[in-house]
Amino acid sequence: MMATFAPLIPTTLVIVGAFVLLLISTVRSIHLQSYLTITVAFLLLAFAVALPQFGTQSGVYVLPDVFGHTYLADDFATLFDLMFLGGGVLTLLINAIYLRKRDYYNGEFFALFLFAIFGMMTLAHANDLVAAFISLELTSIAIYALTGYHKNYRGSNEAMLKYLVLGSFAGAMFILGTALFYGVAGTTVISELAIFIQHHGSEHLLALSTAGLLIMVTILFKIGAVPFHSWLLDVYLGAPFPVTMFMASVLKVALFAIALRLYLILYVDTGLVGNGVISLIAVLTLLGGSWLALSQSMLKRMLAGSSIVHGGYMLIALSSIGLGAHLAAPAIMFYLLSYFLSSVGAFGILSYIAADATRPLTYDDFKGMAHRRPYLSAMMAISMLSLSGFPSTIGFLGKFYIFMSAIEAGQIALAGLGIFIAFVSVYYYFKLIAMMYFYPCEEEGCERKPFEIHISTLLIGLMALLTIWGGIGTSLIPWFPGADGMISIAKQAIGSLP
Amino acid sequence: MSVVLTWIVFLPMLSAGVLGLFRVRHTVLRAGAMLSALLVLALTLLTAVQFDPQAEGMQFVRHLPWIFQYGITYYLGLDALSLVILLVIALLMPLLYLYMWDNPTSGYWYNMLLLQTGVTGAVLSLDLVLFYLFYETMLLPIFIMIGRYGHDWNHAHAMKILLFTVLGSMAMLFAILYLGYAHYSFYGNWSFAWQDLAKLPLDPQTATWLAAGFLLAFAIKIPLLGFHTWMATAYASAPTPALVILSAIMAKLGIYGLWRFGYGIFAQVLHLYEPILLALSLVGMLYYAIHAITQKDLRKMFAYSSGSHLSLIALGVVLANLYAWSGSLYLIATHALASAGIFLMIGLIHQRTDTVQIDGLGGIASVAPRFAFFFTFFALSIVGVPGTGGFVAELLIIIGAFSVHPWLGAATATTMLAAMLFVFWMLQRTLFGAPVPSTVTFADLNRRETVMLAPLALLLVITGMAPSLFTPLFTPQIQAMLLQFVHAAGGAS
Repeated sequence: MMATFAPLIPTTLVIVGAFVLLLISTVRSIHLQSYLTITVAFLLLAFAVALPQFGTQSGVYVLPDVFGHTYLADDFATLFDLMFLGGGVLTLLINAIYLRKRDYYNGEFFALFLFAIFGMMTLAHANDLVAAFISLELTSIAIYALTGYHKNYRGSNEAMLKYLVLGSFAGAMFILGTALFYGVAGTTVISELAIFIQHHGSEHLLALSTAGLLIMVTILFKIGAVPFHSWLLDVYLGAPFPVTMFMASVLKVALFAIALRLYLILYVDTGLVGNGVISLIAVLTLLGGSWLALSQSMLKRMLAGSSIVHGGYMLIALSSIGLGAHLAAPAIMFYLLSYFLSSVGAFGILSYIAADATRPLTYDDFKGMAHRRPYLSAMMAISMLSLSGFPSTIGFLGKFYIFMSAIEAGQIALAGLGIFIAFVSVYYYFKLIAMMYFYPCEEEGCERKPFEIHISTLLIGLMALLTIWGGIGTSLIPWFPGADGMISIAKQAIGSLP
Repeated sequence: MSVVLTWIVFLPMLSAGVLGLFRVRHTVLRAGAMLSALLVLALTLLTAVQFDPQAEGMQFVRHLPWIFQYGITYYLGLDALSLVILLVIALLMPLLYLYMWDNPTSGYWYNMLLLQTGVTGAVLSLDLVLFYLFYETMLLPIFIMIGRYGHDWNHAHAMKILLFTVLGSMAMLFAILYLGYAHYSFYGNWSFAWQDLAKLPLDPQTATWLAAGFLLAFAIKIPLLGFHTWMATAYASAPTPALVILSAIMAKLGIYGLWRFGYGIFAQVLHLYEPILLALSLVGMLYYAIHAITQKDLRKMFAYSSGSHLSLIALGVVLANLYAWSGSLYLIATHALASAGIFLMIGLIHQRTDTVQIDGLGGIASVAPRFAFFFTFFALSIVGVPGTGGFVAELLIIIGAFSVHPWLGAATATTMLAAMLFVFWMLQRTLFGAPVPSTVTFADLNRRETVMLAPLALLLVITGMAPSLFTPLFTPQIQAMLLQFVHAAGGAS
């Protein structure tokens, strides 16, 4: 009996945590620190339960008499669960100082946070388009609210409204696509759809392709792929730091989870039209994102622009899956992990420094940082190196796998473009390194600030170490996955898909 | 014995890590750095003694798996070609530390330590991904050093050298990825080891494109004519130790890459590029030489002269016969010694007078005779006056050119003579005449500086007087490489 419920426990823990937080947030005497502790405790508990489940499941429907075929437990979903939970913990703890210095964070914030993570987890498990839509909307609505959490800041309000209006509109595409699928195939269960497309795909090519593309539009919108990106820069800038970080790292992982699951059934060996569209969007995303990132002076906006570019790299690999690159799907998972580590590091340092700032940080604010905060500067430099794909960091291996899969799929020009875009990105990432290291200290504030030992800074340091370790780590330490072990894990997860 | 190369590569980085961890004082830091450099020198000499010139293939090989999934390996090895460059690096580092001895900026020292790991790693790696890793990361310390400790628009110039070099290496990365995939599709397993990739039966058109990726990277690094716009600015802005590494070692790595990977992997299609490379290096020699004459800044002058000589080395490599290849390898070493000497002395001039403009100098010979002697010696050995190692090397290349075609030989010889002109005029304006205000109190070389420069000068004389001491070290292997190349190139046509 326990075995049938086991895959549900982590998800249940998160939703229970969310309700617990909602209930206790009515009590005035509870401090932020307690909320933080409770949230992290629930997430860690769920993580601890989910961790041993990895590697044991290959596509089990959970409680089929209740949920039908909607809720699927496999290694793929479990690995994503682990990333969401770990990512949630990291986001909260790294931003602990930032949260503590603002007075408008309370219990609801953390409850919304857990609702968002719950939505992502069910999204990764969803084997039904309707369930996926509900999960996606649950996550989105929680994040709309989180985006506007900085109530007295107009930028935050603007960001929320923009995101809400455009996001809901894009979400409608998903439901339209689902309806079309249902109309043609008579089912919304993803695995049944896959079988239908395999057998009757060619008879209803137009309707099925349209439906697939409509659903892809929603996902591409949420990823921020060009030309669906216009909301992204303002929303990232306006949202509070923890939320920006959450959107850039964890939410992106969740979207690629559903994208991978759908893509593998829609475009692999099915003859549906759309693979070429994804390639085209990858090109647009790489070019447009680079243009945006190059022209920013605020760091948050630069990172937002560059997150579009990173989405573009992953789209390269996504479009290569349909063309027969057998390592493309693990490459995306690995890239997600690498982007996650480096962007959490970068956003974390920004948030740590911005904790006392009253206006958005620009490149100029980092002049002479290396004198004032040598350790943080070194960590920031490592994050930047990894984001630009410099060798000896995990970012390089991530790009290596992505471009390799494109070459394997015969998309030589796309791989070439990707490498060129990586070259362009060297400029805007190294500009920050140059700011930190090239300038002597200015007159005021030149004295060296001590390295504050705090959970935030320690975790940022851990991210930097993992970034390096992921790039050069060998299998010398048997129980700890190095650069090689990580891609094996990703392969195992993809292997558990039908 | 097979771990010795690993130590040579990683000892400086390890020292930097340990010294940095304890946040040591300047005196400890410099002692530690010097110690690590001397240890590396000792290990290198040990390898040189144990190196068997007659044996074929790589020696002291260390081949360990790194990333199974893609067959990427930790693969270090050494042959005559890499040994020569390795010796130069190991020899120069202690001398550079001697130059920096009283510089209290600790960042400087850490960057130099990391830089040594970067350049030695690039010379010794035989797995292309590992090579790319070192080739790219060695740029970081240079970037930081130019940007942080350089002068004259150094921020912009640091960015410029970074972007140029990264553009080249990205093109190379693309070719590396494609080669790895080609190996997989031909043989069903992944490998990035260079001798595996050399055996790939690529169709000529693909090979031509891939070769272009590699050549772009190396052409920028050398730099060949047309790819050189970063050179003068970076040289002028770089602090002296970084400048020495740039000119004496990193530029040579471009040549090394062309030699090892260009000729090693793309032997069958390289004949397509030979006319272009030949033209670029011949015209480049002359172009850089003319530029050198017109420069008013000593650093820029010798930057262009360095470019001119690197074009000559590239020419020797492209000629691909025994004389030319021996000459090129010899010139790699002797030019590194001579240019290290001259750039160190220009650094000393800058320390003493705060200027490197020729207009602001003059009459140094009358106030600092020892300085003038060394300066003249290095300047003359740069252009290859008989009796110095450069002469032997240039002679060999000219003979190599003549044996290809008399006109080519004549062209090489005349351009080289033209390239010498600038040096005499420069010497006359800086050293001789009456002292100008900035040089009246010009201090002569002190003991530390003499110790720093003497080994370079001594080696240049020895290499010039008794080349037969050194040639047996590399001639057999050069011959073997040449045979291999001719065989591979002939097999295609």
